[in-house]
Amino acid sequence: MPKLIIDDIPVEVAPGTSVLEAARSVGITIPHFCYHPALAIAAACRLCAVKLLDGPVKGIQMSCALPAQDGMVVSTTDPEALKMRSLVIEWLMLNHPHDCPVCDEGGECLLQDFTIAGGHSRRRYQGKKRTFQNQYLGEGIHHEMNRCIECYRCVRFYQDYAGGTDFGVMGSAGRVYFGRFQEGALESPFSGNLVDICPTGVFTDKTGRFRARYWDYQFAPSICQHCSVGCNTSPQNFERETIKIVGRRNDQVNGWFICDRARFDKTYLNDPQRPREPRLDGATCGYDVAVDAAAKSIREFVRQHGADKLAFVGSTRLSLEGMILLAQLADAAGGARICYFGDAGQQQGSMAAAKLLNEENTAYVKDIEQAQWVSLHALDLMEEGPMLALAVRKAFLAGAQIFLVAAEALPARDVLPFKYTSVETLNQVPFEGGGKGVIICGAGSKDPDLLAEMASSGAKLVMLQPGPNGFAAALLAQEHGAAPLKELVAARQVRGVVCFEADVPEVLLADVEVLANADWRREAVTDTSPIFLPTTTWVESDGTAINFEGRAQRFQRTRIAGLPLKGLDPKYYGSATEAVSLHPPRVHRKEVPGGAERDAWRVMAQLIERLGGEPIEPLSGKWSSLKSLDPEGEGVRIFEIGLGE
Amino acid sequence: MELPLFRHNRPDRVVTFDEYREEGGFEGLKKAFSGMSPNDVQQAVLDSGLRGRGGAGFATGRKWSFVPRDLPGPRWLICNCDEMEPGTYKDRVLLEHNPYSLIEGMTLACYALGVRHAFIFIRKGYEKAAANLARGIEEAKQAGLLGEHILGSEHSIELDLHLSAGRYICGEETALINALEGKRPNPRSKPPFPAVKGLWQGPTVVNNVETLANVPAIVANGAAWFKGLALNPEGAGSKLFCVSGSVKNRACVELPIGTTLGDIIDGACGGMRDGKKFKACIPGGASTQFLKPEHWNLPMDYETVAKAGSRLGSGGVIVFDEGHCLVEATLNLINFFARESCGWCTPCREGLPYVKEILTRIENGRGEEDDIAILREHVKYLNYTFCALAPGAMAPLDGLLRDFEDEVREHIVKRKCPLK
Ligand SMILES: Cc1cc2nc3c(=O)[nH]c(=O)nc-3n(C[C@H](O)[C@H](O)[C@H](O)COP(=O)(O)O)c2cc1C
Ligand code: SF4
Ligand code: SF4
Ligand code: FES
Repeated sequence: MPKLIIDDIPVEVAPGTSVLEAARSVGITIPHFCYHPALAIAAACRLCAVKLLDGPVKGIQMSCALPAQDGMVVSTTDPEALKMRSLVIEWLMLNHPHDCPVCDEGGECLLQDFTIAGGHSRRRYQGKKRTFQNQYLGEGIHHEMNRCIECYRCVRFYQDYAGGTDFGVMGSAGRVYFGRFQEGALESPFSGNLVDICPTGVFTDKTGRFRARYWDYQFAPSICQHCSVGCNTSPQNFERETIKIVGRRNDQVNGWFICDRARFDKTYLNDPQRPREPRLDGATCGYDVAVDAAAKSIREFVRQHGADKLAFVGSTRLSLEGMILLAQLADAAGGARICYFGDAGQQQGSMAAAKLLNEENTAYVKDIEQAQWVSLHALDLMEEGPMLALAVRKAFLAGAQIFLVAAEALPARDVLPFKYTSVETLNQVPFEGGGKGVIICGAGSKDPDLLAEMASSGAKLVMLQPGPNGFAAALLAQEHGAAPLKELVAARQVRGVVCFEADVPEVLLADVEVLANADWRREAVTDTSPIFLPTTTWVESDGTAINFEGRAQRFQRTRIAGLPLKGLDPKYYGSATEAVSLHPPRVHRKEVPGGAERDAWRVMAQLIERLGGEPIEPLSGKWSSLKSLDPEGEGVRIFEIGLGE
Repeated sequence: MELPLFRHNRPDRVVTFDEYREEGGFEGLKKAFSGMSPNDVQQAVLDSGLRGRGGAGFATGRKWSFVPRDLPGPRWLICNCDEMEPGTYKDRVLLEHNPYSLIEGMTLACYALGVRHAFIFIRKGYEKAAANLARGIEEAKQAGLLGEHILGSEHSIELDLHLSAGRYICGEETALINALEGKRPNPRSKPPFPAVKGLWQGPTVVNNVETLANVPAIVANGAAWFKGLALNPEGAGSKLFCVSGSVKNRACVELPIGTTLGDIIDGACGGMRDGKKFKACIPGGASTQFLKPEHWNLPMDYETVAKAGSRLGSGGVIVFDEGHCLVEATLNLINFFARESCGWCTPCREGLPYVKEILTRIENGRGEEDDIAILREHVKYLNYTFCALAPGAMAPLDGLLRDFEDEVREHIVKRKCPLK
């Protein structure tokens, strides 16, 4: 363990740690542009200069590229180091447009921060600024090359990290250009990370440009709900609208990055057409009126048909809290049935996976990255868990063999960022006793025997769940003996349903009566149900999700629920006739327009009360250790806390 | 004593394979393959005191000794013929007259280093040299001096010619390696040095054309003979000086190491042109500091030139007379370096155009007193770049400010170039 001194502070760090990271470990931020912990060292910007006063190397050195060694005496404030850093800023400013007010990066720009920190403030250069043509890079990303400081982060991410081939660096000297040979949409499904990784405003999120400044945003730690990987994100909200979503670091799950779906697929959150008002028989009503009516309807149905003819239906979209309370609610209704899955195959596969997986055999993302071989089993990885493709790429780059088993019909295979061998069955994957191998498959609709066969291989396992919270659904389905809705309806075992964020197939609706429906999006049931209870989306609610590897992660409310201010219906402006779009409301009101939504599990708790029960605290009993889960932490695998099989 | 590099040269054409052999060519190779071990060859090169002719002047034998011999996997040798340093054209002259010394030298180097496959990285514009080399490689192969089972031994050595698109940065050895691998020619960080991790991550020696072309004579005649070629005791061997600027005969000449500057200009080049007075010269290619009239009798050797505050570099001597404006000359060189920066690191990519802007203003009579201080900052802080291009680019500017500050100041004060 090298011991060194940085600005008079003794520091001890792990071997191989850079001086820059060693300094950071004692709270000293050495300005840097090209350095990024997830990327290979470039040592290109030369901003991280420090002076070595004593020890094995001396003089000005780049701290990002210098491994800490015993006996080093480092000064980050030596005049020569300060001068170097201010010169680097001056050089970068020679050509920078200097127009932060009209740059969408302003306020969240590393270049702004370190320009201030660099101490260069007076222009001495008398030449003209160089300018570039920008390119159209698709609907996700806006390009402004003049802002570039040539840190090479974008290429190192796009090509080296994400395996993209259609974007790179061209030219030399003062003409280096970061873009494509020809204008056109970026091909990589991870292209959006350019927004996060570029330290200045070259790449900005086109879907949310010039809507708000960083300091205007409301944000909180969140978990992406687009697949069961559970990447950590920070939705950035302004005036009840989710403007941008950026990646949030979690080294156990997604590292620093997220896929483009996580980042750009957000219009549904802001959709003004989202059903936001509680409704009773087609007319809007107060929330409590709707809850009362639902309770009454449930009681009435149970009285007429018996509780076992009624099913409370959730889905893998529900938070863990919602899933737990759904079971209590069914109980409170007199022992009604519970469904977490619509489809029998999905439930079977999902439950089989949850049962098979344990602390020993469940792969960590690190296990994928360090695997000697990875086998993707009949799986469209880019669809079911895109970020894992980058983990597989890391293994591939380190020399692992990648196999695609029974994957003929997959549409996205061409864009997998690694080379692979196609084989027909798992038996053709040449491995002995598992080795350091990982099998990745989708759990939903898989034959449990096949899953069991994979589990017996000795390899580490990744079984991607159908839906963001599939693992939790499987655990609860197991605990409460839940059955797939389709099966119950087909067997005429249920005649009525109460839906909570349930994706009930339209065909089933002919055979069951929908008593009430709670959701944040319009589903087929929304129109059939006499009672509608609007719920909050994942960005507007607190909750817990369990990802494919059994990792429970807490997400927080990142903004209040309600209609986005932008595009607000003119009725909220105080005049129904005057068209005054884009102007804030002119009348004072107590409630947020369209802000009646409640978290699904809170609605359940209210129903339990109405039905005479006493709602439990969702994360209690065996779940109680999840209550203290840190939303900014790495989450916890449920095996570690004695949950799971 | 006959100097090794140009001894086979014909004035008007390239030497033929047969002529080269008749005049003692490939004797070194034969000697090595009949009784010298690879270590003996390396030791001879080490003892000879041969220093790299590509610019840095690093001892060749020592560089070879850094190559780990016990690693599995191939090792590589690359001949650097990217020659783009302004004022340097020796490798071209050498190869246009005689490709065989290089081919023989590379074969010997491969033998010494245990290399089975070597490359010659040759720049665009050197098509004639490349054609000579291509033909020479074929002839050597036909004669059993290259290729499979050289001279009937178990040693097989392959030599490949790589024609580059030509950028100055491709001459930087790690950028060259990237280029050869088909990547952008940005330099790599050192360490690891190429000798440990170079081409395709294997141990790699990169040597200049002239360096390698010296090896046959060293092996054939012995280290002591080579050392004895120099005129001064510290020196070793001969050096190609390619002279340009204000001399009567601009030529590339081979002279013993230690020949004085005055002897190069007055002797080999017939003196100053049009009876002009010698004002300064750049002794070793564009990335070296100026030498002044007081250095007229300086023996041109690595050590002595370094002591005089410059570098022998590549041996590209650019001579200026009293009518030349050195601000303009420096600006001319900076223009080249600013254009040829690879664009990887900030100080070089942005600092060189900054220097260019300032020198342009000074030369055009729009300089300001503060400019000199800014230039000095660049001379100092452009040392902290990723590779040696920018520090090299600062050498003439450093020389200008050190030796000719008055001339610079005169531009600023008079608001015009005093020599125009
Ligand atoms: C910017 C730059 C350009 C260079 N160009 C050349 C060149 O054209 N030819 C060359 O032999 N060495 C060149 N060098 C030096 C090489 O990096 C390397 O040191 C040399 O080829 C080693 O050969 P030697 O030991 O035989 O001198 C250059 C170095 C730098 C930094
Ligand atoms: S575009 Fe951004 S990330 Fe890429 S080199 Fe320029 S400043 Fe760096
Ligand atoms: S010093 Fe110049 S040539 Fe060398 S790496 Fe930096 S930008 Fe490229
Ligand atoms: S951060 Fe170290 S050189 Fe860029």
